[in-house]
Amino acid sequence: MKWLINRLLAFWLLLLAISLGAAALVYEIWLKGRI
Amino acid sequence: MFEFIIAGVTVPVFLLVLVGLTVGMVGGFVGVGGGYMVTPALIVFGFPGYMASGIDMTHIAGKGVVSSIRHRELGNIDWTLALTMIAGTMLGVELGVRVLVHFKGLGISAIVLLITSVAIMLSLFIYTQVETHRAHKKLEQLTREGKEIGREVQTSNLPRLFQSIPLSPIIRCRHARVIISMWVIVLVGAATGFLAGFLGVGGGFIRVPALVYLVGASTHIAVGTDLVEIAVSGSYGALRHSIEGHVDMMAVLFMIAGAMIGAQFGSIATAFVRGPAIRYILSYSLILATVGAVLRLVYIITGQNIEWLSLAAVMLTLGEMIFLCLFILSLVLFAVRHRRGKWVPDWVQSLVI
Repeated sequence: MKWLINRLLAFWLLLLAISLGAAALVYEIWLKGRI
Repeated sequence: MFEFIIAGVTVPVFLLVLVGLTVGMVGGFVGVGGGYMVTPALIVFGFPGYMASGIDMTHIAGKGVVSSIRHRELGNIDWTLALTMIAGTMLGVELGVRVLVHFKGLGISAIVLLITSVAIMLSLFIYTQVETHRAHKKLEQLTREGKEIGREVQTSNLPRLFQSIPLSPIIRCRHARVIISMWVIVLVGAATGFLAGFLGVGGGFIRVPALVYLVGASTHIAVGTDLVEIAVSGSYGALRHSIEGHVDMMAVLFMIAGAMIGAQFGSIATAFVRGPAIRYILSYSLILATVGAVLRLVYIITGQNIEWLSLAAVMLTLGEMIFLCLFILSLVLFAVRHRRGKWVPDWVQSLVI
């Protein structure tokens, strides 16, 4: 984990993955079928 | 769930508060209104396009005022620069809107707008990313050598070029520590205003890099000064949209409730970082917005019948806001840890104060 955070690009990708996961969760719970 | 009678949609309230909070934080930190994130998000939630623009603009006005007050307290606003630039911006916006109307008459406005957006955002992303990376390396070198570092380091030679233009009157922007021809500021304002008017956005993502790389202001001053412009132009836009009946005030109120907290936090967060950290976040927001615009462009060109493209655009719209907030929160957390002498990643050490 420390290795991942210690590199800017790896940290960037980690945050992006978490964000897209959270976005998918919001979509599944509140937005699916409404768009 | 809350039924917005004027807009005719039912949306979970917390989603609107969340959008206000996240975009408020990014806006206060980077100095942008965030219309390129909010409008697509509101459309995703079911608001009609015209109403999404109106609600977005009205909440941007409120957020702009809150962020400006906070940045004024932090000493990040140069009023000479702000007021001179506003004059140019207004001229530019008017011209941009007229050119847009011309293209609308030709019936190709949506594609022209998206292609122009992608070209501008991609160019700005590449330039800010390359320059910020260079500034970051310089900061790391200075940190290794144990030298005293201010809160700003930038490596572009463009400000020196623009500041050397000998066109009277030459004005002194005391707070930004810039001596420059008034016409350069007006022209930079007009050019960025033109693009903002043409693209139908507030233009913060163009003005902040322009203030840093052309005028030579520090990133913190560019952010604070641009937020004054956003408050002024946002208020005018909000008034226009309200007259046209494009605003659902209940939706605005929920968004502003989140934006009040987010904008304050984003503005205060700038005090924890050096200029290149803010430019990194700006650069990341540009590339994510570019990908979003490319998806929309492909969606239009392919006849709007590819389902996964629409879904990817929704994910990106929501994911972008969460990503930028997480990055800002991480920087503040790392800055606090750094102050307490705890471990922080190597790349962070030179970016935080």
